[in-house]
Amino acid sequence: MSGRVIGKALARAAALVAIATLALGVLYPFAVGAVGRMAFPWQAQGSIIEADGVKYGSAQVGQPFSDDTHMWGRPTVADATLFQGADGQPLLWYGPDNLSPASQQFAQRVEERVAAVRAAHPDRGNAPVPSDLVTVSGSGFDPHISPAAAEYQVGRISQATGRSPQEVRAIIRQCTEKPLLGVIGQERVNVLEVNLMLDGVLEAVPNR
Amino acid sequence: MSDELGAALFEAAALIALLVAVALPLSSYVVAAMEGAPSMARKVMGPLERGCARIVGARPDDSMGWKRYLVGAVALTVVGMAVLFAILIAQGVLPANPESFPGLPADTAFNMAASFATNTDWQAVAGEARLSYFSQAVGLAVQNFLSPAIGIAVAFALMRGLRSAGAGGLGNFWIDVIRAVLYVLLPLALVGALIGVAQGTPQTLQPYETVQLLEPVGVDAEGNVVEADSPEAVQQVTQAVVPLGPQASQVAIKQLGTNGGGFNGANSASALENPTPLTNLLQCGAIMLLPLTLIFCFGRMVGDRRQGRMLMAVVIAMLAVAVAVCMAAEYAATPQLLDDGAVYVGGVEQSAGNMEGKECRIGTGETALWSVFTTAAAHGSSNGSMAGLTPLSQVVALVLMGLGEVVGGGAGTGLSSLVGFVILTVFIASLMVGRAPEYLGKKIGPAEMRLAVIMVMAPALVMLAAAAVLALVPAASASAGGDGAQGFTNMLYAAVSAGANNGSALGGFEADAPWPNLVLGLEMLLGRLVPIGCAVALAGRMAVLKPSAAQVGALSASGPLFAVLLVAVVLLVGALSLVPALALGPIALATA
Repeated sequence: MSGRVIGKALARAAALVAIATLALGVLYPFAVGAVGRMAFPWQAQGSIIEADGVKYGSAQVGQPFSDDTHMWGRPTVADATLFQGADGQPLLWYGPDNLSPASQQFAQRVEERVAAVRAAHPDRGNAPVPSDLVTVSGSGFDPHISPAAAEYQVGRISQATGRSPQEVRAIIRQCTEKPLLGVIGQERVNVLEVNLMLDGVLEAVPNR
Repeated sequence: MSDELGAALFEAAALIALLVAVALPLSSYVVAAMEGAPSMARKVMGPLERGCARIVGARPDDSMGWKRYLVGAVALTVVGMAVLFAILIAQGVLPANPESFPGLPADTAFNMAASFATNTDWQAVAGEARLSYFSQAVGLAVQNFLSPAIGIAVAFALMRGLRSAGAGGLGNFWIDVIRAVLYVLLPLALVGALIGVAQGTPQTLQPYETVQLLEPVGVDAEGNVVEADSPEAVQQVTQAVVPLGPQASQVAIKQLGTNGGGFNGANSASALENPTPLTNLLQCGAIMLLPLTLIFCFGRMVGDRRQGRMLMAVVIAMLAVAVAVCMAAEYAATPQLLDDGAVYVGGVEQSAGNMEGKECRIGTGETALWSVFTTAAAHGSSNGSMAGLTPLSQVVALVLMGLGEVVGGGAGTGLSSLVGFVILTVFIASLMVGRAPEYLGKKIGPAEMRLAVIMVMAPALVMLAAAAVLALVPAASASAGGDGAQGFTNMLYAAVSAGANNGSALGGFEADAPWPNLVLGLEMLLGRLVPIGCAVALAGRMAVLKPSAAQVGALSASGPLFAVLLVAVVLLVGALSLVPALALGPIALATA
């Protein structure tokens, strides 16, 4: 194999990488972004839920909730060291737990979470706790819980907020999305949206 | 069998059937595109193709011998890797860096550059926390197009070599890459990206969003997050970050090109990357689309559709077993989760089974299906935490990767490995019936056998070597992220994932350290370039052999008997190379 063949191949590779960088690295994302901005501006900018000038979060990103007046989501493993705001203040971000569901450490965490959930929901007695309330999601910031996990909390939320169980259930229904064609994916409740409605910040769910 | 498991298996069967149904006509389109046949698409894209070819200095009629073809493939990989390395090192001074991320250290940049140039997409660091928009879109995404295009090009070179009547070259490498991008990858990615944005995946150059937390939390002196009113809290956290960026464009091509490297560390488990059941279905299907399509392309290219159908049957059969085992394990959950009945894992008003590491909008079944697809197809993306899978599912994932890109495999590279196994099987079967081995009418000699054996053994060898280094060098074992069998499983998974050019990971493994960065980076290069070198050389040797007329009583390499033999050979090679290591890791965990 002569050096000339290799040299020529490297030159062609450099030319191809240059075109690809321009076309696939710059034009392609710009084209997608341009269509996105025009047709789906809310989604393209992160599905941010905004009310009265305050940005309360993304509909696609969960937050930790433990207040009695709020619906609780999946347990989070939060971090406040990765990101800082403009004034150097820590910003919250999340990651998965990465524990094997067959490990002793996992068993212990589940037991602790079950105890904490049950202690906050005396009206539920010894009923089994829906699994998504005691397991960490794949991303660590699952924005949803299951309808079973939402229903489990209705009594506690109703008591803490003074709203009737029917009112709480009506809010949950508004924030519930169905599976695609009834079978693909899962029925799920957006926890941040429920809590913003419970707090009276939101009157309706955005963009649905 | 529970109702939920039954329904999930039915859904998986329907999706696989749909994929096969789409792959069949798509293979006709891909063959026409790669062979330069006239088509509607060529009327539209033809001028672009010719423009790119002129700039690169390549002509379609300049058909290459195997050495020139291989030099081209290696040159493009090396140049792509060098450019990506430079971007990652220099991202601190490059534009489109609203979060002001500094350049990556050299060992991390080497690992990531090797990873994305080899279609592995192993990610030593979480993208949203360390990479600028420039690095993601101009660095990683470009390799997400070029690396599968190289794989597809090599697969077509191999098919042309097998088909050749004894004189032909293997085609022009540069033209093949340009065609794979323009006709196959780019149109599909554009459609996928637009659906992604519509469903809720960000696509913007705006900086990350800062939002108010409804419930502030506290941070203790060590930086751990605690409750806001905890006595250990030394500071309150009232705001959270929402990572944005050109995500949709990148997610589409990482799913289609058997790449797998997410914009975010959480990959498609993040609702930003994979917001709805629709995106999950499309992304999951996209993992397997090109690997399956190329199998049908094989039948068309070698002029014997039965070959394509036989290989498809073999791949689907192995895939089906893996899906069934993984789903059964995930729906059964674990005693640790059941907690003596305190936790409800049934399917009424929620997803049944093991929800650890899974998302509520996706559920257990579709996460199990994705986990099988992503490890079968040398893909590496995930829509949940691989670490959250039950031990048996992790064994399935490890076996699928360890078999060496056979059950679908990477775009192009999967088909090449499969052909390597076919040749090995032809050799063994011919010996059994006492015939001279021949495949597609061409005699298989010692040189062809050597190439086929190196091709199928190389991934297993580099995996085991890398696992040994990680386990034996104390500075490397520090990354294991666990003790005993769990720690070994984490290391083994990393080594197998890198060698198979997969890129999925058990999250416990601490990947971003000099030893794993260098060992795994080298492993990814070897696991990619050695099989590609063998495939192109094999193509060159086969191309100069004249096919002979089929002999009476010659072995049929397309019947059911041959298919069974092929599966047996694949499993035997995989078992012999992997079982001892599996026994020390995940099998020990599963039976503990």
